Amino acid sequence: MTAEMPLHAGDVNLADEDFFARGEAHALFRILRREAPVHWNPGGELLRGWWDITKYEDVLFVSRHPEIFSSERGIVMFEPVDENQRALASQGNGKMLITMDPPRHVRLRRLINKGFTPRAVAVWEPAIRKITGELLDGVAGKARADFVIDVASQLPLAVICEMMGLEKKDWPLMFQLTNKVLGAGDPEYQTDVPAAQRGTADAARVTNNLGTMQMFGFFAQVLQARRAEVRQDLVSVLVDSEMGGDRLSDEDILWFCFLLILAGNETTRNAISGGLLALSEHPEQKARLLADRALLPSAIEEILRWVSPVTHMARVANDDVEIRGQQVAKGERVVMWYPSVNRDEDVFPEPDRFDVGRSPNEHLAFGIGEHFCLGAGFARLELLVMFDELLRRFPDICLDGPVERLRSTFIGGIKHLPVAFAPN
Amino acid sequence: MRVVVKAELCEGNGKCEAAAPEVFRLGEDDLSRVLVDEVPEALLPRVEQAIRLCPRQALAWVGNEPPARE
Ligand code: HEM
Ligand code: SF4
Repeated sequence: MTAEMPLHAGDVNLADEDFFARGEAHALFRILRREAPVHWNPGGELLRGWWDITKYEDVLFVSRHPEIFSSERGIVMFEPVDENQRALASQGNGKMLITMDPPRHVRLRRLINKGFTPRAVAVWEPAIRKITGELLDGVAGKARADFVIDVASQLPLAVICEMMGLEKKDWPLMFQLTNKVLGAGDPEYQTDVPAAQRGTADAARVTNNLGTMQMFGFFAQVLQARRAEVRQDLVSVLVDSEMGGDRLSDEDILWFCFLLILAGNETTRNAISGGLLALSEHPEQKARLLADRALLPSAIEEILRWVSPVTHMARVANDDVEIRGQQVAKGERVVMWYPSVNRDEDVFPEPDRFDVGRSPNEHLAFGIGEHFCLGAGFARLELLVMFDELLRRFPDICLDGPVERLRSTFIGGIKHLPVAFAPN
Repeated sequence: MRVVVKAELCEGNGKCEAAAPEVFRLGEDDLSRVLVDEVPEALLPRVEQAIRLCPRQALAWVGNEPPARE
């Protein structure tokens, strides 16, 4: 069933994944920013309701007050009404960096954040350039390709797998499992469910659970290997770490691996493919960038703003609190919509214009504050190198078929993007 | 007004140095340091900007008070 485009805030329901699959969510956000910037989205029989936060200043406020807005009760909007389902959905709450509150969050983050500072990231540039070059050489012989499968997904996959010290033979499995976990709502990844049942909420739950279990099974083996022989990778750093005098438990490490492999894969991929899509849809901006390569850094920031690869992060209010005049009650969930705040008219002049030279451009695609994306430096470097090499080799790359978007309210994903490397 | 960098939060993103190079410098250890004791009047807006832009919320006025606004 295709939902009709609502005209007023009262009719907006951001749980409807089809708006995102069709790339129409911006129309909904525009209505909310204008009419109800802090908007109560009623739940229903299955889901509890939540507050939609659509303005930039309000996301700053929520993100900068982790003592009021907790991450420990889940960072996605969905909170099932059903007890059992809620228990299942909240398995990882409080266990991962991203679902933890200070002071524990600060301590855990300090164990590994030295590996993510600008200096640490810069060390990776030659490796990232080599991987990118090999990838692009690999498609150079083809006339056309699926840009997501052949290019955009491969670089982030290779980088995070290298960081974690995973063997190359396991990389395709990681691609498959991260799709299952974060793309669980999309029938394409519901391969463990009989075809007739795909596309349902149950199918999404089964897919997510199976993907999660397989991931834990896989990383349990990696962990065992690292305990036996410490190496120079992120998993080894975790094995070797202490927090408050204690070693991290197996469970802590496995959740950390789970977070890293997901966060490293399902985000940068969509910034790369979404960036190519944006450049293709704005040929004058692409021409501008080709003519003046010094614009590359600002083009990358504009791609991040434009695409906003992570669609939302949620928090739960620890107390009654007021946001923009709305009373949010203790225990209620607030959902920060990054694509919306990144096109907030009060912050970005002409927000719906894609401008590779935009400056200033203080977008919030990586969040801000306590949970500011740990991998932002890696993501930026991957994007820089990718677009540098891509536009150098294939300045004429163009779309060669319809874009297929992910059916998800959490990841602004592109599943397939057919391209031709030279004009027809 | 005095400003501090909270070392346990700073991750060397360098937004502070870009906003107010007279006040902040990123060290070899990827930690930002405050170069001045008192922030000169003329630099207050830029330090405010740095505090606002720091992705890790690692900067704060001493005593946490923002300077009075016009
Ligand atoms: C364009 C690509 C990316 C985008 C848009 C992105 C976005 C985000 C966002 C919005 C958050 C959460 C902010 C919050 O809850 O307030 C986050 C957290 C995180 N990201 Fe990324 N991310 C990207 C790439 C990466 C990469 C490549 C890695 C790993 C190498 C990574 C690792 C993480 C981790 C570990 C966290 C949790 C941090 C914490 O809770 O302290 N991300 N990211
Ligand atoms: S902007 Fe914040 S995190 Fe970055 S160097 Fe300055 S104080 Fe540190």
